[in-house]
Amino acid sequence: MAAKKSTLKVILLGDGGVGKSSLMNRYVTNKFDAHLFHTIGVEFLNKELTVDGYKVTLQIWDTAGQERFRSLRTPFYRGSDCCLLTFSVDDSQSFLNLSNWKKEFIYYADIKEPEKFPFVVLGNKVDVAERQVSSEEAREWCQENGDYPYYETSAKDATNVAVAFEEAVHRVLAMDDKTDYLISTDTVRLHRKPRSATTCCS
Amino acid sequence: MATDSALKVIFEHEGVFIHPNTEEEGTEPDLLVSGSLRILEKDAEVLVDFRPLEDPVDPSNMLCAGQDSSSVVEWAQCPKEKHQSHQLLETQQSYETEWDMLNAVSFRKRSSARGEGLLNHSLERSRWAFSVSVSDLRSITVKDEGWTFVILQQKEPSTSLPALHFHQGGSREFLDNLRRFALLTESPEDETCLEVSTPNRALSQSFENLLDDNSFGLIHKFRRDPYVATFGGLSKVTNYIYDALRGAEEQQQQRPPEEVADLLGEVIPGLEINQQEEPGFEVITRIDLGMRPQVTRREPLSADRWSKHLDMEGRVQDVDQLKHEVFKGGLCHAVRKELWKFLLGYFPWSSTSEERRCLQRVKIDEYFRMKLQWKSVSEEQERRNSRLRDFRSLIEKDVDRTDRTNWFYEGLNNPGLTLLHDILMTYCMYDFDLGYVQGMSDLLSPILYVMENEVDAFWCFVSFMDQMHQNFEEQMQGMKTQLIQLSTLLRLLDLTFWNYLESQESGYLYFCFRWLLIRFKRELSFQDVLRLWEVMWTGLPCQNFHLLICCSILDSEKQKIMEENFGFNEILKHINELSMKLNIEEILQKAEGLFHQIRSCKDLPHSISSILGLDTGHQRSDPTNAGAVAASQRAHLQNICSNGLGRENGSQNSGRPAFKS
Repeated sequence: MAAKKSTLKVILLGDGGVGKSSLMNRYVTNKFDAHLFHTIGVEFLNKELTVDGYKVTLQIWDTAGQERFRSLRTPFYRGSDCCLLTFSVDDSQSFLNLSNWKKEFIYYADIKEPEKFPFVVLGNKVDVAERQVSSEEAREWCQENGDYPYYETSAKDATNVAVAFEEAVHRVLAMDDKTDYLISTDTVRLHRKPRSATTCCS
Repeated sequence: MATDSALKVIFEHEGVFIHPNTEEEGTEPDLLVSGSLRILEKDAEVLVDFRPLEDPVDPSNMLCAGQDSSSVVEWAQCPKEKHQSHQLLETQQSYETEWDMLNAVSFRKRSSARGEGLLNHSLERSRWAFSVSVSDLRSITVKDEGWTFVILQQKEPSTSLPALHFHQGGSREFLDNLRRFALLTESPEDETCLEVSTPNRALSQSFENLLDDNSFGLIHKFRRDPYVATFGGLSKVTNYIYDALRGAEEQQQQRPPEEVADLLGEVIPGLEINQQEEPGFEVITRIDLGMRPQVTRREPLSADRWSKHLDMEGRVQDVDQLKHEVFKGGLCHAVRKELWKFLLGYFPWSSTSEERRCLQRVKIDEYFRMKLQWKSVSEEQERRNSRLRDFRSLIEKDVDRTDRTNWFYEGLNNPGLTLLHDILMTYCMYDFDLGYVQGMSDLLSPILYVMENEVDAFWCFVSFMDQMHQNFEEQMQGMKTQLIQLSTLLRLLDLTFWNYLESQESGYLYFCFRWLLIRFKRELSFQDVLRLWEVMWTGLPCQNFHLLICCSILDSEKQKIMEENFGFNEILKHINELSMKLNIEEILQKAEGLFHQIRSCKDLPHSISSILGLDTGHQRSDPTNAGAVAASQRAHLQNICSNGLGRENGSQNSGRPAFKS
């Protein structure tokens, strides 16, 4: 435990309206609100969980998806341990934009070794009947771009949501095993956080 | 309190260095003496006190006990612009704040192993401790060598104390705090030299004297709200003083120093806001406000009262009086539909009912012409117009997610949704350069809800957008400007809190982004948004009143934020979670009180008066104020009416019921 970070920062990225906030809310509060406002600015929620015997506080960051707000959201990319690239299976454009999101993240999060960074891809809204993106297409993209794990989720009916977030945690912990400790201020900062993080997530 | 002989820490800053080798021959060349610089008030005397860090704790200094001797720092990074060694004092001050940012990331705690060597010089070091009364100071020389250092010159004997090097910033705060007890004036011969003169009054009176001609003593305020009264210094100092007032048993709450250092590492890159707008001595970092007057709000303006404001022809008789009433109490809902059109500037204040009817007819035509433009775009065209396609897609998504629990927009096939969508699409045609940006649906929704009419809602929205346009532009200049202005206000109104936010890397006030982008739309209940907006649209009592509203909310939250030592993330989370928990009347009351405090302040810095539009005698220039443009508007209106009447029959849309349900 002492050697592990107790707070993991995970960031949800993707086009506006793909369901980033809904995924976060489903996972943290297990609720779905079809009438949720679109996100303005930046928000985050904490969730405590135990993975592989480690107690972990997952800090999930949610941002506004519109291009215009880039300068607001990108400062928050720093220090992320994992990035959840999100699209909606009923919106092909949001799928096509995945590589832009990935690029934006790598650039602003200042990822030194992008090929090693844990991305997880979520195809949300699988409850919707009219799909524009097939599972095969999505899996193919994930394979070609770094063999990312891919989950088809539905924040609405809770399909695969917890599994996807937990996969993110597994990935990060697996990373830590390999590199043991990244010597960066961000890591140190996150390591430092447990006291305050637990205070505010109650 | 004036006779209280207890020691009081006015200011404390660690990481101030003496460089002995430059002071004296025969000392170790590399020795740097790191220490803590304090301004103390003791037995009616104000002292500047420097103490190397490992000095034994003086039992009489209980307030400072617990300071961590491990705070030895090393300079991990080269100074950014060392060549600027002969900076003028004017530029030095703004420069140093940039440094504070750099320092925040460049200083790391030494590992204990490496620190050991340095710490073994305590005998040598204790020589460097000094304590000097402010009244014994002749002058202070402020210089810059990539960092700031100051030299204190005593009167008797006329000697200099060792130069104090502010490697971790803080010289400005130090000088600001000194200014509370002494007059620092630039020497005519040497611009880096500040001459010190202390007032004749007993220094023990200095707290009270801060408020000079004000009958309310600071001490009184101090007891009432230590955070308001404790100016200057680091948040830690605030804690010391605050803890002292609350009693020693609560001293455990102090933030461990290593956490401070750690949190300082959380620098947010990316958003580049240069806060240093005012150069040199314009940077007055503290003002002394009197007591905040109790403000009472009034009843909302009733329909009856509104009708009394109109003359026979439907002209508003006393615009100023009417605005004042709206400012003080808001409007009854029944009045909103009509009066909002004036407040937003869609209807000129000077217009008659007849003229307004003409105007509306013309505006109906104009609206539907624009609406037809996007309505008649074929699929083929849209396939070749990516911008329009993107706007439409965004609007569709956001309309689905705007105020959906409000009866006006709830359910699946609510006409309110169609109207929201159509008005936003038409706005794209009206201002294609801007198009649609997230947040605009939030601004439109209450207006449409009140107007219950597509065309009126559109034109009122256009007026509102005229005010808010810059918030949504590509570079988000409006947002940057507002964040800078708010930061400037806060720094002057409440330096302690501002310093705290700075220490948590939150001085940019990121967490106010949503407040400012959509004028508190997501923070308040729908009904309260209506109230707040109509109050703001009066343009009273000053320009940028919404920034005082921000200050008012922050004033209510600062205690919690500082007491619980919220860091960057927690502040953001805390502010986000205030949503729907705020009381609009309380906020308005406090904001108005704040305004009165500021206005009655004698030496208001220019930066503040220009933000609030208080510097010149004339009225503010916000777009809701029809005053200056009234004449041209009126000519335009008459023009419209004479043309409009001739086209009355030909206007196929004029009789069209705009709001169908």
